[in-house]
Amino acid sequence: MGYALVLVRSASLNLEAFARATGTHPGLVRRLVALGILDADRDAAGELWFAPSQMAVVGRVQRLRAGFGLNYAAVGLVADLLDRIALLEAAPREARRPGR
Amino acid sequence: MAAGPRADRRDFYEILGVPRTATQDEIQRAYRKLARQHHPDVNKDPAAEDRFKEISEAYDVLSDPQTRRRYDAFGPDFRQVPEDVDPEAFQRGRAGAGTGQARGAGGAGGFGTGLGGDLGGIDIEDLLGGMFGGRAGRGFGPIPGADQEAELELTVEEAFQGGHRSVTLEGPDGRRTLDVRIPAGVTNGQRIRLAGQGGRGSEGAPNGDLYFVARIAPHPRYRVDGRDLYVDLPLAPWEAALGTSVGVETPRGEMKVKVPPGTSTGKRLRLRHHGLPHPRGSAGHLYAEVRIVVPAKLTDDERRLFDELAAVSTFDPRRR
Repeated sequence: MGYALVLVRSASLNLEAFARATGTHPGLVRRLVALGILDADRDAAGELWFAPSQMAVVGRVQRLRAGFGLNYAAVGLVADLLDRIALLEAAPREARRPGR
Repeated sequence: MAAGPRADRRDFYEILGVPRTATQDEIQRAYRKLARQHHPDVNKDPAAEDRFKEISEAYDVLSDPQTRRRYDAFGPDFRQVPEDVDPEAFQRGRAGAGTGQARGAGGAGGFGTGLGGDLGGIDIEDLLGGMFGGRAGRGFGPIPGADQEAELELTVEEAFQGGHRSVTLEGPDGRRTLDVRIPAGVTNGQRIRLAGQGGRGSEGAPNGDLYFVARIAPHPRYRVDGRDLYVDLPLAPWEAALGTSVGVETPRGEMKVKVPPGTSTGKRLRLRHHGLPHPRGSAGHLYAEVRIVVPAKLTDDERRLFDELAAVSTFDPRRR
């Protein structure tokens, strides 16, 4: 049991490490969590932990912000819409499979 | 600053699809529209990123009245011309050698009038907005590249056996050819990841990944559903009625299938685990779907026998 926790913990990054790895300010990371754009786990001590997959999310946020001059709230909306479109586009691809 | 070698080759007005006389407003509108279409997070096509950078670079130059004037006067090499050369004087000097009044070369006339007023419509956010790509980085720090997606059409045989496929894509430095390893048992819609082959990260940030989405092309013989394969099995009426053993084509070669007596059209005979392989599990099945086929023209003997059968049989397929 204890081992499992250690394994999970070592795969994820704390706020400082995550901010460093993404080249962002910890304050911005906290703000993105508050906006629901980034997913983070909070441990018993209240510290934030991030899965490595969240680094790609920060990349997308930065690209969308830089490319369109969006504010962070708008970036969240656009990212959600893009995810939904990706799901919708994948569905007909699955359905197109010739069946019985 | 970050002018890509490709962006220099094409005319910036052409890239944005605006005339040389376009106002700043028109240039901004064209840029916004194109940026929405080709932004690497909106458009997963691997070619979109370069297109986006081209667009950003063009906008970067044309949205700034000073730079635009220099671009109009000196052309694509305007960055090499020293700052203190006056664009208008340069153009007059070039054109004036002949007629003295030609100002048209770069549409400078239209531009001159549009400059003052239109500038008011651009706010700071918009200027920052153009930075990604052309003016990459300033203030944003390293930005990882976006993931990209391209479709990869495979034959059923390729999905069955796996193998290698050489794929050519438009890349940052022109065309690049990638060797894609197709795992045996890839299914429709499955994604094959090429780490680090996606969009480029800026300032040393990691590149995105490139995903090939497998599409199994229609096959003259096999229909594919997940890992299961379906194949038609045409039978003569007597084969279907009496039962038989027939050969069925599978991707692995011909297999013998036992058709039990009394088999009707639509019945599926399963060849367990003869569908597409599963790298981490059991393979799909192959289903031979029975279809009863009658001779288009009967010989005299066949007609006599069928007549006899019709007279003797009490079978009614429509009885409820």
